[in-house]
Amino acid sequence: MYKIVTKKELVPHINLFEFSTKEIAEKSKPGQFVILRINDEGERIPLTIAGADIKKGTITVVCHEVGKTTKQLASLNEEDCIQDLVGPLGKPAEIKKFGVVLCVGGGVMVAPLHFQAEAFHKADNRVIGIIGARTETQLIFENEMREVCDELYVATDDGTKGYKGVDFLKDLIKERKIDRVICVGPIIMMKTVSEFTRPYGIPTIVNLIPIMVDGMGMCGACRVTVSGKTMFACVDGPDFDGHKVDFEELTVRLKMYAPQEKAAFVFYGKDRRSL
Amino acid sequence: METSEKEPRIGVFVCHCGFNIGRVVDVPEIVEYARTLPNVVCAQENLYMCSSAGLNIIKDFIRKCDLNRIVVASCTPATHEPLFRKACEEAGINKYLFEMVNIREQCSWVHMDQPKEATEKAKDLVRMAVAKASYLEPQVEPELKIKPSALVIGGGITGMTAAISLARQGFGVHLVEKEAELGGMLGRLYKLRPTERDASEILRESVIAVKACSNIHLHMSTLVEEVKGFIGNFDITLQGKGSNEPEHINVGTIIVATGAEELKPVGMYGYMENENVITQLELEQRLKKVELKNPKRVVMIQCVGAREKTGRTYCSRICCMVALNNALLLKKMYPNVEISILYRDIQTYGEYEDFYREARENFIDFIHYDQDKPPTVNSNDGKLVVTVYDINLGGEIEIDSDLIVLSTPLVQHEDGRKLSSILKVPLGPDGFFFEAHPKLRPVDFSSDGIYVCGTAHGPKDVTESLAQACAAASRASIPMAVGEIKATAVKASVDKEMCVGCDACVISCIFNAIEASPFGQPNIVDANCKGCGVCAAECPMGAMQLKHFKDKQIVAAIEALLKPKKLTSSDERFEPIILCFACQWCSYGAADLAGVTRIQYPPNVRILRVPCSGRVDVLHVAEAFLNGADGVIITGCLIGDCHYTDGNVKAKDRVYVMKKSLSALAINPERIEIGFASSSEGQKFGTMITDFVEKIRNIGPNPLRVKKRSD
Repeated sequence: MYKIVTKKELVPHINLFEFSTKEIAEKSKPGQFVILRINDEGERIPLTIAGADIKKGTITVVCHEVGKTTKQLASLNEEDCIQDLVGPLGKPAEIKKFGVVLCVGGGVMVAPLHFQAEAFHKADNRVIGIIGARTETQLIFENEMREVCDELYVATDDGTKGYKGVDFLKDLIKERKIDRVICVGPIIMMKTVSEFTRPYGIPTIVNLIPIMVDGMGMCGACRVTVSGKTMFACVDGPDFDGHKVDFEELTVRLKMYAPQEKAAFVFYGKDRRSL
Repeated sequence: METSEKEPRIGVFVCHCGFNIGRVVDVPEIVEYARTLPNVVCAQENLYMCSSAGLNIIKDFIRKCDLNRIVVASCTPATHEPLFRKACEEAGINKYLFEMVNIREQCSWVHMDQPKEATEKAKDLVRMAVAKASYLEPQVEPELKIKPSALVIGGGITGMTAAISLARQGFGVHLVEKEAELGGMLGRLYKLRPTERDASEILRESVIAVKACSNIHLHMSTLVEEVKGFIGNFDITLQGKGSNEPEHINVGTIIVATGAEELKPVGMYGYMENENVITQLELEQRLKKVELKNPKRVVMIQCVGAREKTGRTYCSRICCMVALNNALLLKKMYPNVEISILYRDIQTYGEYEDFYREARENFIDFIHYDQDKPPTVNSNDGKLVVTVYDINLGGEIEIDSDLIVLSTPLVQHEDGRKLSSILKVPLGPDGFFFEAHPKLRPVDFSSDGIYVCGTAHGPKDVTESLAQACAAASRASIPMAVGEIKATAVKASVDKEMCVGCDACVISCIFNAIEASPFGQPNIVDANCKGCGVCAAECPMGAMQLKHFKDKQIVAAIEALLKPKKLTSSDERFEPIILCFACQWCSYGAADLAGVTRIQYPPNVRILRVPCSGRVDVLHVAEAFLNGADGVIITGCLIGDCHYTDGNVKAKDRVYVMKKSLSALAINPERIEIGFASSSEGQKFGTMITDFVEKIRNIGPNPLRVKKRSD
C-alpha cells in the first residue's frame, strides 16, 4: 500500500499527488513513469513522474480526470492509500549540457516537463519553456516553470492567455539557435512541434505514454512505430525521436479501448452496491 | 429572449388520421392524458392534423395559448415532419422546437387487435416526446455560399469529360494533370472495340474540346498538394513539377478522376525475367508501335493477380474484354497466329458476349484452368513453355509459345493513395476510392462537395467511366447552380468547460468535422459536420453534444418512459418494457414499413428516434436500465449501408462492450441487443422485435424495475 501524503487541486479536474515511496523516490529520474493501481480490481495506469523528493521519500504525479480510474484517484484524499505503485519505469531522459534547450509542454504534462526542465537548468543549459493548455483556467505549473526557465512563453488553444496555438513557435525555431527540443503533451502538439523542427534538423525528443499494461516490455500493449520499427514505449522509451514516430498510428492505438473506457466511466459508481 | 429560456409551454396535437389511428387508438383518451403532463398547456385532436384545417388549429393555439413547443402525435416524421415544422415557423415558433410522435406506424397499424395496449403505448410515446420537447432548443440553420468553380483531378478521358460538362454549363474548371500530356490511360491504348477506332482518335476529340473551353484552366505536370476547407469553399494548393512556387486556387467542388494503373505482375509467370512475357497494356503498346515480330503461338493468361483468395480479391471487370479484343486484333494482323486464352471464368457481360462469340468463330483456343492449379511458365533455351491443367480435358497440356500475355487487374496508384489522405476521403478494401453509398450515392463521397468517377473508383470500361464522369459533373453542378446550401442545424457542439482535451471526438469523426488544437481543444467545422452524433457518444465527459439530440433531451425521454413503469412487487404480472433506439434512416424506415404493411408485433417496445445508431451513448443505455427498462434494442442500417459510413459498426462495438459492463450492475447482458434492418425490411423489423420481446419475457423483469421499500 502506498499512502497519499499530499493532494492538491491545481485547477478543476487536475490534481497533484505525492505518494510516500522511499524506494521509488531514490531512483526516479526525469522522463520516467510509474504505473499505479488503486485497488485489487483496479486498472493499471501509467503516470509520468513530475518530481521526487529523496528526503521526504515521496514522488509527485499530476493527474487529469479523464476516465474512470483517474476520477477514482481524484476521489481519494491525503492519508488514503493505493494498492500498487510500480516504478520508476522506462529510460530516463538524457540530461546533459546541450546548450539551448526548448521545453514544450501541454496540459497536465507540463508538470513532468517541469521535472525535466529543472534538470536541464541544473545541467547548465539555457532553458526556453513553452507551456500551454486548452484555456487559461486549465494552465498549470506556470510559476514553477518560470523558476527553472530562462525564458517562458505561454500559449492556449483559445487565446485566453498568451499566444493562440503553437504557430508562434515556427518563428522562434527559425530565428533562434536551439540545440534540443523536449516535447511532452498531447500527441497533436508533439507532432506539430516535431514538424516545425524537422526542416532545421533540431533533435526533438517526444515523451510517449500509450496504453500500457505491465510497463516492463512483456505485454506489447504500448508498441509504437519509430522509423518503421516496432518499439515498446515502456522499455525502449518513453522518449523517442519525434521526427521518426508514427503519430497517426499512436493516435489510433490510444483510442482502441474508447468504448470500454466510456462504459467504465458511465457505469462507475453505479454498481449494484450503490443502488 | 431565447425561447429555450422561457418556461416551456407545450401544445400537444393528436391526429385521428381518418380511421387509421382512431379506429385502434383511443385518441380522446390520449388528448385527456396529454393535458395532465408537465408543461403541457393545451391538447387538441383533429380528424386530419395535416389538413389545412388541422394545421390552422396548431397555428391558432400557438397564438391563443402562447405555446413555445409543439408535439404532434400522428404519422411518420419521414413524410410529415417538414409540413408541421413549416406550420410552426409560420406561427413564429422555431422549427427545432417541434417534436413528432408516430402513433400510426408504431401503434394503430402494428397492434391492430390490441387497442388497449396500442393506446397505452401511444400515451408512453407522447409522454416521452413531451419530456424531450421541454428540453428542445431553437436552432439556426447555417447557409453556405457555393463558389461556382470546380477542381477536376486527372486529365484522362474521364476527367476531361467531367471538365467539359461543367465548363459548358458555365462553371469555372481547374483541370489538374500530373503528366505533361492530357489523355491518361486511354492515351496508351491501341484500338477500341467494337468500332476498332484508334483510342488516340477518340482522345483527340476530347482534348480539342477541353482546349476550346475558355473557362477550363489547365494545370499540366501538377499535383494537388493540400486541400483545406469544405463544400463551397475549398482552398487548394497545387504544386507544379519542377516549380518552386506552389499555386493556390479556390473552388466550390472537387471531382476525383485520377484513374488507375495496370498491375505489373513482378515475380509471376517469368514477368520481367523474360522479354516475351508481357502484360496486355504492353502488348497494346507493341501493336501500336508495330514492334511485334510475327508471333506464331501466343498464350494469354487471365486473372493474373486478380480474384485472389486474399488481397486483390476483386474481378477487374475489363480484362476478359481486353484479352479478347487484343486476340482478335492479333488474328487480323497475323492471320496465321495461334492464340490460347487460359481462363478461370470468361466474364463478358452484356453485349461483350459478342466478343467471345467472335473469338470462338476465329478459332481462338480457350483453356479452362483451376485457381488451385495455376499454369506454369518455363523458359527452355529462350523458348517459352506453358504447362496448364485443363479442367475440361482433365489433364495437363504443354504449349510452346513465343509470346505470353498476362491479363492483370487495374490497381490504385501511389498518387491515388496520397490523394485519399490529402482529401480525407476513404479508399475501399480494394484500394479504390470509396463512394458514400454503393447504390444511393454512387459518385458522391461522404464528404459533401467531393465526387468520384472513372477507374479511380474501380475497374471499368470507357463507356462506364464516361457515364460516371457525366454523373459526377451533374452532382457537382447541383450545389454550384443553386449557389448556396442550407445545412441542418443538427450538428456537434462542445462545452469547453467540460472538455478534457482527450481528442476522442477528433478520432471518431470520419468527416473531418472536428479539428484538434495543439493542447487538445476540439474545434468543430460546422460545414463538414453531418450530424451523426458519433462524437457525442464517444466523448467520455459528455462535453461533446449533438444539437437537437443532446444527452439531456434523450435522457429526459428515457426517464419519462420508465419512471411510471416501476413494478410494485416482483410478483406483479410482467409485461416487458423495451426501449428501441432507431436510426432515422433505415431502421426507423423499417419500422414505418412494418406499419404500412400491417406487420403485427408485440406492443412492448417504445421507439426513440436518433440520427444514427452511432449516436446511442453508453450513458443512454445505462440510464434506461437504471430506470428499469427490461430490455434495450439498438437498431441501425445494415452493416455497410450506414448513412454515416460506419456509425452502426461503432454502435455494434459499443453493445459488445456494454454487455460486459451490465454484469457489474447485476443486469443480464442478454437484455441489450443490436439489430440491423434496411428500410425495405419491415417484416424483419417485426420479427426482430417479436423475438427480442419473447427473449426478455423469458428473462423476467429488470431487478431495478421492481420498487424497493425505500422508493
